[in-house]
Amino acid sequence: MADERDEGRRKKNLPHDPSRRRFLKGVGVAGAGAALAEHLLLKSEAEPTASALADASTRPVEGALNLALDVNGQRRSVSVEPRTTLLGALRHNLDPPLTGPKLVCDMGTCGACTVLMDGKPVYSCLVLAVDAAGKRLTTVEGLGSPENLSGVQKAFVEHDGLMCGFCTPGFVTTVSAYLKKNPNPTLAEVREACKGNFCRCGTYPRVFEAALAASKKT
Amino acid sequence: MQQQTPAKKKKVKVPRVVGGVETMVEIEVDDEGGPEWGPNDKHTLLNHRLTRVDAPVKVSGAALYTHDRRLPGMLYGRVVRSPHAHARVLRVDASAARRIPGVRAVVGATDEEVVEGSNKAAGEAAKKNRTEAGGAEAAAGGKVVLFAGQPVAAVAADTPEVAEDAVRAIRVEYEVLPHVVRAEDSMKEGAPKVTPDPNEQNVEEREKRGDAAKTEAAFAQCDVIVEAEYRTPILHHSCLETHGNVVEYRGGDAATVYASTQGTFTIPSDAAQELGLKESAVTAIVEHMGGGFGSKFGIGIEGMLACQLSKQAKAPVHLMLTRKDEFLLAGNRSGSWQKFKAGATRDGRLVALRATQYRLGGLGRGSQAGQPYIYTAANFYREVFSVHTHEDASRAMRAPGHPQANFAMESLMDELAYKLGIDPLEFRKKNLKDTAYHRQLDRGAREIGWERRNRTPGGGAGALKRGMGCAVGTWGGGGNNQCKVDVTVARDGSVTVAVGSQDLGTGTRTLTRAIVAEELGLGINEVAERIGDSRLGNANSSGGSTTSASLSPSVKDAATNARLAVAAKVAPLLGGAKPEEVKFAAGQVSAGGKTLAWKQACAALPSAGITAHGEWKSNLQASGVHGACFAEVEVDTETGHVRAVKMVQVQDVGLPLNRLAVESQINGGMIQSLGMVLYEGRVMDAQLGLQLNPGFGDYKLPGSLEIPELVPLIDDEDKREAVIGVGEAAIIPSVGALANAVFNACGVRVRELPITPDKILMGLTKGGQTA
Repeated sequence: MADERDEGRRKKNLPHDPSRRRFLKGVGVAGAGAALAEHLLLKSEAEPTASALADASTRPVEGALNLALDVNGQRRSVSVEPRTTLLGALRHNLDPPLTGPKLVCDMGTCGACTVLMDGKPVYSCLVLAVDAAGKRLTTVEGLGSPENLSGVQKAFVEHDGLMCGFCTPGFVTTVSAYLKKNPNPTLAEVREACKGNFCRCGTYPRVFEAALAASKKT
Repeated sequence: MQQQTPAKKKKVKVPRVVGGVETMVEIEVDDEGGPEWGPNDKHTLLNHRLTRVDAPVKVSGAALYTHDRRLPGMLYGRVVRSPHAHARVLRVDASAARRIPGVRAVVGATDEEVVEGSNKAAGEAAKKNRTEAGGAEAAAGGKVVLFAGQPVAAVAADTPEVAEDAVRAIRVEYEVLPHVVRAEDSMKEGAPKVTPDPNEQNVEEREKRGDAAKTEAAFAQCDVIVEAEYRTPILHHSCLETHGNVVEYRGGDAATVYASTQGTFTIPSDAAQELGLKESAVTAIVEHMGGGFGSKFGIGIEGMLACQLSKQAKAPVHLMLTRKDEFLLAGNRSGSWQKFKAGATRDGRLVALRATQYRLGGLGRGSQAGQPYIYTAANFYREVFSVHTHEDASRAMRAPGHPQANFAMESLMDELAYKLGIDPLEFRKKNLKDTAYHRQLDRGAREIGWERRNRTPGGGAGALKRGMGCAVGTWGGGGNNQCKVDVTVARDGSVTVAVGSQDLGTGTRTLTRAIVAEELGLGINEVAERIGDSRLGNANSSGGSTTSASLSPSVKDAATNARLAVAAKVAPLLGGAKPEEVKFAAGQVSAGGKTLAWKQACAALPSAGITAHGEWKSNLQASGVHGACFAEVEVDTETGHVRAVKMVQVQDVGLPLNRLAVESQINGGMIQSLGMVLYEGRVMDAQLGLQLNPGFGDYKLPGSLEIPELVPLIDDEDKREAVIGVGEAAIIPSVGALANAVFNACGVRVRELPITPDKILMGLTKGGQTA
């Protein structure tokens, strides 16, 4: 899983590298933004003007961009900056926001911001919001609600797979995606699947138990 | 009140400091009467495995943490940090930042009287420096920063992105001053003075205790002597939710502060002072919080800055530290440097110990339990000092001072045991008076299979070598008289327990609910709890593992009073039974052969229902816990890599309110120890005065691949019918156990944490000794 989330970072030469490391977090994103603009303006709700399209290959993307994000089965419009991360868009720009995915390290080390993009777990702090347009996004809120928990969420509750709970949305999302891929994992495989997520309270053993218990029920 | 009858007496165990060491002694106290827990094995909800009542909202992303608060018109705050460890701020120019569209407020925050790092005095300094009119510019001129990362200004803007732009646009001119970030350098003659306070030297004596001459003389009787120095680096709490607040002040005479804090009631006074409001006009909300571990008391410099920004902008300000901020300016666990000379006799008695202990707390005093820690040495002498450096001040961190002391003392005990040729477990028992440790050591030894340990450290064939170690630890965990709890029973049968306390992930919500539900004979989900709000009954801060032992007695008292109040109203329906004879069990209320369902019974209540109040009862809590840990590790002698294989920890806790949560706490303690022993440590560049690893990419936390098999065992031989906190106790004994297991496995005694592969390899090439 962590490997999948890292894919973007390795494939440096892809045109739509989901890693924002290619961009300075500053305003000027000239070179990298050009290809992006072409792709995303077309997908955004805002009707790009002819001149904007003509200039797209030479001009930096800046200012507000209106996007449509497909989140938890809903089409949500959101206004972002080119540099806004998917995590930022979900947490800050969407109204009402989706604050299940947590901002913890903001640099792709901890996994608390994990969301599913076309079913695959990604660190949403490493994905630009503009790169998420047109993708099917699922956050922890989309996996189940307090009144209607998913099997994985129920297993986390039953096995005490959480303490302070700040890492929990990331673990729940990671484990949910992994069990879809491998419905009957070993403990070693669960550990491997969770290696991109940090917990400070020390819930790991119970996260593993929860994942294994949930797998038996699926 | 009951002076006619002689007060009933009862025996309780309380902690007392004897010879500088906290031990448990039994004393007689008045029996105040009132509620009692009853035998630990007779509970219907408590001492069972209760899933967390807040788990459903946490696993589904619905739980609102401070970081998740969104308010109309809310601005995002960011801090400008000093890039220098010691410097005079000559000028702060925020003019460019102010011109950026969307920047709404800029404040300065430096002062030469900043001496205590980020937590308190820096906040005080920020306050003195408040710049209502002049903004950041007014902060310029002669102010001195004392650590790299110290805030010099802060901004608030419409979006986080714009706030970051504003931080970059602020120009700060510094005159760089000489700094010192290593204890050895700070102690040198002519070293740069760390704080401007003329009364505070770089090296401050904290304590001298024991008899130096007698101790020195006693070494002559010893059959073996070990002289050794142990070191532990500064560690980071690494709360996943960073420090921060959302300050909602829109002008006027009231404000609300959403805070990520361990002390709901530490917030209003701090914020009120900053906002110029009455304390009673500020409400603190702590609905859920993402970890504290001792680092989150008071509003902090970040909260003060948020208040200033909110006041200037007349808009709510969301100021949560970034991860790098969190490493640099949100406190830390002090490092340690402990020098020992210790001697023991052939029969396994620790006869003499001389210790020089340095607490390395940066601008803070640091903490370190006095040696010989929980062991008994016939003769000892210790000198304790704080050594200051230009680094953020240390704060409390889970069992302040104990893991450092545990690592050093338990390593030393091990070294003596091996030198004497005595089983390290037996050597410990000979020097531990309290038999609770003996019992726990024996149980842990059975559980891990102590007889399988390496008889010769480093022995055995092959490159992968396994070994085992053990250690013990102690903590207080008693409560105090601060919690005011109300239980309301409505006429429709709904029950609410309310108190302003906070749940750090320790399970406060769950235990609060469970105590009331058990008392009223209800299911846990038939009671609702309201916590984390300063408008509710007062509660203490969650520090020193005091929450459970402070809160539970008050909850129990309130629940008992509620039960009696309901009984009094229902009794006429039950043949006029006395209230105390009415039984509450399994959702029914019964007496004199008559039974009512809970809701039927509540229909007899007045229209407003009943509200009962509860106060702390000392007899419902106790203090002083024991723990023993055994660890098994595998060392790859070709790479120096250490893998923890299994850890077993036996921990007493009086009445375990929720076994599932207590076990999780013990697991968490073992895992944080694992981080301390094998992975974590602040790395400083002495020349630049900067931290080299202020992020999770370089500061290694234990991850899923490193977690050994963990066996958390609650010591039910502890029959105390009293609540004791366990959060801090849980992190202590596993530190020494892991370090000792490494030695047993490969024969290398690493005396400086973390035990990284380079140190193992160095030791292997030097016949077991490290530099």
